[in-house]
Amino acid sequence: MNKEQTKKIILGTFGVIGLLYVYFAFFLGPLNKSRYSMAARMGELQNKLTSSKAEIANVAKLEASARAATVRYETLLTQYPEGAPIAWFPPRIRTFFSSQQIDRSSARLEGTAGFTEKELSSWNKYTWIIDLPQADFGTFGRALAALENSEPLLSVNRLRIHAATEDPEFQQVSLTALTIIGKK
Amino acid sequence: MPLQLNLLHEEISQERQRKRDPLKLSMYVAVALAGLLALNYLWSAYRTLTIKAHLSSIERDWSKVEPQVTAAQKRAEQLNAIITTTKTLDQFIDNRFFWAPMLEKISRCVTPNLQIINLEGLIDEQGKAITISLEGTAAGREPRAVAEDFRQMLLEQVGKEQPAVKVEFRTLEDLDTLVSVGGNNVPAAHFTVSVTLNTGSKPPAPGPADRKSKSKKEEES
Repeated sequence: MNKEQTKKIILGTFGVIGLLYVYFAFFLGPLNKSRYSMAARMGELQNKLTSSKAEIANVAKLEASARAATVRYETLLTQYPEGAPIAWFPPRIRTFFSSQQIDRSSARLEGTAGFTEKELSSWNKYTWIIDLPQADFGTFGRALAALENSEPLLSVNRLRIHAATEDPEFQQVSLTALTIIGKK
Repeated sequence: MPLQLNLLHEEISQERQRKRDPLKLSMYVAVALAGLLALNYLWSAYRTLTIKAHLSSIERDWSKVEPQVTAAQKRAEQLNAIITTTKTLDQFIDNRFFWAPMLEKISRCVTPNLQIINLEGLIDEQGKAITISLEGTAAGREPRAVAEDFRQMLLEQVGKEQPAVKVEFRTLEDLDTLVSVGGNNVPAAHFTVSVTLNTGSKPPAPGPADRKSKSKKEEES
């Protein structure tokens, strides 16, 4: 091999190295990079699809198991009418006690408060003072039982019964009741 | 030996040299390598295109499923909130203290020679302790004994369902005046009894349906 040929071989080797560099850096490299990224995205989507199908199936199961809770929730929510409770609660109590043979009754709002619990954020607490100035103990007991049974979201926190001095047959009753009413 | 003259010797050696030209050989190698690389590139491109097609089909599927999943997630959140709220409200309903059965028990303990003039019941803020204060007058030959009988009976009646109940006298004083019971004038005593209940120790509350039927039975009786 003469000097000229050696020179040509060295140049040729450089040429091949350059060719390989160009091939890997500008052709195969980007192609592989794009393929790997697509494969990764495909794997990700495949996982998402699988988990989504499972999630949709779980929600369907949850829907079926929560049916009772949903019905109960709706029942509790529709327990009271729409509008400001101060507008309908006192007449409702008056009507209730009238139907229980206690003609004289009055209810007044003592206070309102929200709940700190997150799950009850759409509900409010209302405290009422219910006065029955003329009630017979037996009749009142039956009325109270009916009230406690018909109003599940009402809880009597304070009860005062004392004998009326002017009419010993009757007692004067005062109740402090707490109601939980949904915000509508 | 005859003399052989190769007149083409120079030409042949040039030809041989041309054939062994390293540059030419390296060109062949380079072309072969380039061919291999091109084949490899085409194979990689084919694989990339296949994956791309697969990815497109998965993306189409995902675009169909995604709105359903989002809706399902929202619905699940909603349902979980409803379940939690209902559970909390049910706890409130079940943990309520029912005054009517308590009043019934008290009324069972009141005998004709005893009169309750004041009853005051209070549930504490946490809803765990209930205090009932009963103020009244007991009449009889032994008015203190009548009051004590009332306390004992009350303890027995309330203690059936609330073993942790406390029934204690706050005051018990003889009155100076006589009281007429059944036409006879008898001495009387004024008393205040305090009933303390702890709802934390009560047995699990019955379901709403059971409670209703129970109360109805109680009302009927």
